[in-house]
Amino acid sequence: MRYYPAQLTDDIGNLHPRKHQALAELAELGAQLETASPEQKPTLKARLATQERGLAQHPYTQKLEAFKRKAKTFETELKRKQAQWRQQSTHQDKRLAKLEAELKAAEQSAAFYEAYQELSYDAELAYLISQRKQVHLPAIIQQQLDLEKLLAEKEALKAQAEQQDKTKLQAEIAVYKKQRQETYQAKLSELKAKKREGQISSKALAAECKMAKLALKEDLALKELQDPVKGLEEQIRAIKHHLKRGIPEKYRVMEADISDLRRRTPVEVTRKSPRNFLWNFILPGLAQLANKQYIKALCFFLGSLFIAFAAIPYALGYGNYQGQGVAGLLSLAQGGRRVDRSIIFMIEGIIAIFLLILALAIYYFAIRDAYRVEKKQIQGIRPHNWFESKELLESRGFPYIVSSPALLVIIFIVLVPVVTTILLSFTNMDPKNQSKFAWAGLANYKVIALGQGVAGQAFWHILTWTVIWTLAATSLAILIGFILALLVNQDRIRGKKLWRTIYLLPWAVPAFITIMFFSVMLAPNGMLTELISGLAGQVVNVKNDTTLTRISLILLQGWLGSSYIFLLCTGILQSIPQDLYEAAEIDGAGAWKRVRHITIPLMLYQIAPLLVTQYTFNFNNYSIIALFNNGGPFVPSKYGNLAGSSDILISYIFKLTIENQYQALGAAITLIISLVLMFVSFLGFRKTKAFND
Amino acid sequence: MFFFKRKKSSDLYLSDKPPLTGLGKIMLALSYIVLTAWALAIIWPLSQMVLSSFNGNQGKAISMAGTYVFSWDNFRYLFEKTYFLSWVKNTIIIALASALLTLLIVSFTGYAYSRYRFSGRKASLMTIMLIQSIPTFAGITAYYTMHNIFSSVLPFFSRQALLVFIYAGGGIAANTLILKNYIDSVSTELDDAARIDGCSNMEIYRLIIMPIARPMLAIIGLWSFIGPFMDYMLPKILLTNPQSYTLATGLFTLINDVRTMNQPAFAAGGLLTAVPIIILFISLQGQLISGLAQGSVKG
Amino acid sequence: MDVRLKNIGKKYEGREEFTIRHINLEIKSQDFCAILGPSGCGKSTLLRMIAGLNSITEGELIFGDKLMNKVAAKDRDIAMVFQSYALYPHMTVYDNMAFSLKMRKESKEVIHQRVVEAAKLLQIEEYLYSRPSDISGGQRQRVALGRAMVRKPSVFLMDEPLSNLDAKLREHMRVELVRLHKRLGTTTIYVTHDQTEAMTMADKIVLLNKGIIQQAGAPSELYHHPANVFVASFIGSPAMNLIPGRIVQGQYVSDNQLITLQPSPADSPKLQEHEGEQVLLGVRGERLNPGLSEANNLQLTVDVVEMLGKEQILYCELADHTELVVSAPGHLEFKSGQGYDFHIQANALHFFNQATGERIN
Repeated sequence: MRYYPAQLTDDIGNLHPRKHQALAELAELGAQLETASPEQKPTLKARLATQERGLAQHPYTQKLEAFKRKAKTFETELKRKQAQWRQQSTHQDKRLAKLEAELKAAEQSAAFYEAYQELSYDAELAYLISQRKQVHLPAIIQQQLDLEKLLAEKEALKAQAEQQDKTKLQAEIAVYKKQRQETYQAKLSELKAKKREGQISSKALAAECKMAKLALKEDLALKELQDPVKGLEEQIRAIKHHLKRGIPEKYRVMEADISDLRRRTPVEVTRKSPRNFLWNFILPGLAQLANKQYIKALCFFLGSLFIAFAAIPYALGYGNYQGQGVAGLLSLAQGGRRVDRSIIFMIEGIIAIFLLILALAIYYFAIRDAYRVEKKQIQGIRPHNWFESKELLESRGFPYIVSSPALLVIIFIVLVPVVTTILLSFTNMDPKNQSKFAWAGLANYKVIALGQGVAGQAFWHILTWTVIWTLAATSLAILIGFILALLVNQDRIRGKKLWRTIYLLPWAVPAFITIMFFSVMLAPNGMLTELISGLAGQVVNVKNDTTLTRISLILLQGWLGSSYIFLLCTGILQSIPQDLYEAAEIDGAGAWKRVRHITIPLMLYQIAPLLVTQYTFNFNNYSIIALFNNGGPFVPSKYGNLAGSSDILISYIFKLTIENQYQALGAAITLIISLVLMFVSFLGFRKTKAFND
Repeated sequence: MFFFKRKKSSDLYLSDKPPLTGLGKIMLALSYIVLTAWALAIIWPLSQMVLSSFNGNQGKAISMAGTYVFSWDNFRYLFEKTYFLSWVKNTIIIALASALLTLLIVSFTGYAYSRYRFSGRKASLMTIMLIQSIPTFAGITAYYTMHNIFSSVLPFFSRQALLVFIYAGGGIAANTLILKNYIDSVSTELDDAARIDGCSNMEIYRLIIMPIARPMLAIIGLWSFIGPFMDYMLPKILLTNPQSYTLATGLFTLINDVRTMNQPAFAAGGLLTAVPIIILFISLQGQLISGLAQGSVKG
Repeated sequence: MDVRLKNIGKKYEGREEFTIRHINLEIKSQDFCAILGPSGCGKSTLLRMIAGLNSITEGELIFGDKLMNKVAAKDRDIAMVFQSYALYPHMTVYDNMAFSLKMRKESKEVIHQRVVEAAKLLQIEEYLYSRPSDISGGQRQRVALGRAMVRKPSVFLMDEPLSNLDAKLREHMRVELVRLHKRLGTTTIYVTHDQTEAMTMADKIVLLNKGIIQQAGAPSELYHHPANVFVASFIGSPAMNLIPGRIVQGQYVSDNQLITLQPSPADSPKLQEHEGEQVLLGVRGERLNPGLSEANNLQLTVDVVEMLGKEQILYCELADHTELVVSAPGHLEFKSGQGYDFHIQANALHFFNQATGERIN
């Protein structure tokens, strides 16, 4: 059994005594019960129960109800009057009329509520608020009136100024402008002369020229303002800005002040445990309505609209492009019309699930919000009014709001496709089952593991080559880049800039162009083929020979990838402090020892995380395999007809999925390597700064 | 006297490095040999491409067998007989659009992740980072179908538009992280100062943080722009009509398809594509490298 | 404008404890008030609350006669100078100074006039069109001041503005800041952890520790009448000597029985209330005078002599190796390892309750 807390807690954590006497008595009884001896308990419990039942008949409750009725009629009357005052107002600015009416209303409610302050916290709050309004509103109105007056004055002045003859002034301005231009030119030529004499560097010259130009611009613009009309125009613009912005800004301050009062004045409710939030299980927003948070309720109702008219119908299959919502995931269009395609059913099913997740999230937040509000209310904390909720949303919701486009893109571009792939891997989508396919459990994984069938037989061969390729090609590139960086950055090597520019070329030329060009050169009758054949004394056809193709690929990637490593290492080498080497030299370390004990460890430490991406990059390096020899040469006896002997997993997947329509098998392989890649990348960036701060 | 002095000074050892030993001299010579050899290995193939693009005395295949005839024929062929110009146009449009979309999304997320402590901040970034290490091709089957669905709802949603979204979406996590790190290095006192000077959250983003982060935004934009230039796989999957190809897929038709084969024209097209990018890379190498090193943008 | 803080408290979100609470403070118009305290004492939080950068959990912040709790930072009529200066690196000095006025939509004429005026006063006219990265630290400091000045605020807030400068420049800027304050007459609230800065510049020092005001008052008051042990040991360099002991028959006797002191007649009545209780004796180094006198003598062995020129710091020991620091005029001669006689005037004695740390006399 729950008891009423004896004291109320406000949002800051301060305690307040109860004003609701009936509840205070109940709270006291509850407290007695806590400490009572076992024999006393039953009588106390009975008393508590009768008192609780008689809550409505308690004299205080009666008094409170009477007050509430009175307050209600007062408020309706006040509202009516307020509308009247607004209409009677002589102000042109409608906002001022509203403020004045509000002020009058505040005066009246202060008078009304003052007598009831001791009765309830609600009355006290209403009184405090109306008092606070009487402080703020007159100041807002006065400021606005002052500004209006000022505006009228300035406009009169402007009208006057426009009448006057301005030819003289304009001539004066023109003269000034000309003079200023001349001094500017003089300054420029002076600077240039200094530059020629070598007093200042060209960088300083540029900076000085820029500064002089800025000063010129500023001076000219200022002189223009000497024309009284222009000056006044600008002043009028500023006043108008303040007229427009002044009221909302000050009003916000007032509302914030009132919010402070709300945070410090507790609330008393007769409930002992949250109850209203249950409404939200029926429809999100209802509980907020019951808590009198109207605009918040409206927002959640909008969410409910989304649930009722978008998420649920879509999940049930209405409004789908072709599928049946979530059900489509199970049926996969089996037995459907001829045009129905399983894959569409699957994707629509996944989209439906994402929509449902969103709907559930709305449900969850609506219920949680209502529950928390009520729970706090029972403690004594007032629910937020719309102003407070809005402020909260603006400050704390900001990161969520600005990240939402990213979330949307990621859901549709990353998550939906990835989930599709995962699901596909458990189906039998293959050339025979293109438009309609069915769930097939782990069949694809079995095919892969056992290396069976048309599509599966090549898997293990390809996996082996992929691993060799990744390790060899990447390591070669790293080795070449690393050695080149060490060599070029020796003290005594000259023409460092030239070497660096040359070594940067393989990185700068788009890789696909280089690969295609090498492919052409190594084709039968290609330039390099002829060159090599000439050297070897026999016809060497690289593209028809598995081993040669593979070696060429590794060499080519070494050629391509070394550039980037070279640049990276050069950057790091230059950042190693020179005194480390000097210290080592004094300690008697020779050149090779210095490299081995200082350069290599330092460099490896810094580039290790980046090297991981190099390996994953080559693991996925589709372009070089496809463009160089399209996975060939083909060895049907070993690889079947689907893949060539230089295919790596990714190009194999590509061939399975795109060219040969073994989508399910492709998806299964994709899933396996994705898991491996995720793990490797996780190792790579687990240590980066971003995850440790 | 004067003569004596001069002679003396020429004997002075002026370098502040210690003199070379015999072994050192050999090592230095070896270094130069290795460097030169590698430089040749780089320059020779590239120069062959340049040469063949200007060689008018070739058939459909590149060959240097005949006499060298300088001509613009290959370029003429490229512009007149192929869709080269529309490939360039497609590539630039896709690249620009992906760069802009990336910047738009990432500038907001980078700012939010750097400046706000909100629940789920670290977890969300980590999750997205992990999911994004799944290669883009994982979704290839889905992309096709999704395009069908989307384009039935939004007819203007072309395959190129889908490509743009894939490129932009693929880099969100990594780029957010890079930008976040960069903005982290900007003192939050600047935000405070701006707030006192009268800026709202959005104004701080627009007037203070974004201008300061401009160098990093430029790098992110540049990489997002270059990515579509270099990519071959996605356009090959998604684009079916030769006229809608990007440069990578388009140029490939000049060397692998018997009907459209013209290797010298490919060399010319490659040259035209490579030159602006090389200039870009050489002039901006410092920034590009630092961008890569900061968060390893996906290649 | 005067600034009043009534029972101000701050509780950060997600924390149970208040960072600072029950802060009552009144800063008079045109005062230079330094908020002093060790790091982590909540002084920056307090300043940020006054600035409107942190929300106020409870209490009232009043500028003049206006409640400021919920007024946005920009509308509080304040200006702030930050530790790192917080100059916008992408704007020229001119634009940095003009930025707040531009945000307020002031007219160009007014902006220009104010910027030039401030620049003249601070002697940074030459650099108006340079970027902050192109000027020196001292100049940046001036620009930051100028940026605050152009707003013509009624309250200046400064968050350790000198701590990024080197020692020499800091001394120079200290004088200049005081001069500027005299000239502008703007109420200034200055946060620092450096007691020298606070002592030399402020009209009023508020010493904070652990979120509580330890003492507020004029620098001399804090120095000569520290309200508790924390104030006594925080203010002054070298730090005040604190020796535990008890009151025996109206006299102070140290725990090691080596020092017996007769308090001044004015202090005697208050000390009598603590007869027999544990107390802490506080004596500043410069109040230990060399030589003997009629009463309150003690003998010290000099351990280390630190010669500063006009004065010398003597690190001394009592017979039981209790350490005492003495500051003596520079012309006297002391040798380390030798014993000397010192005497203390009765009005130089501070007595603190050892249990509570509060001042007794």
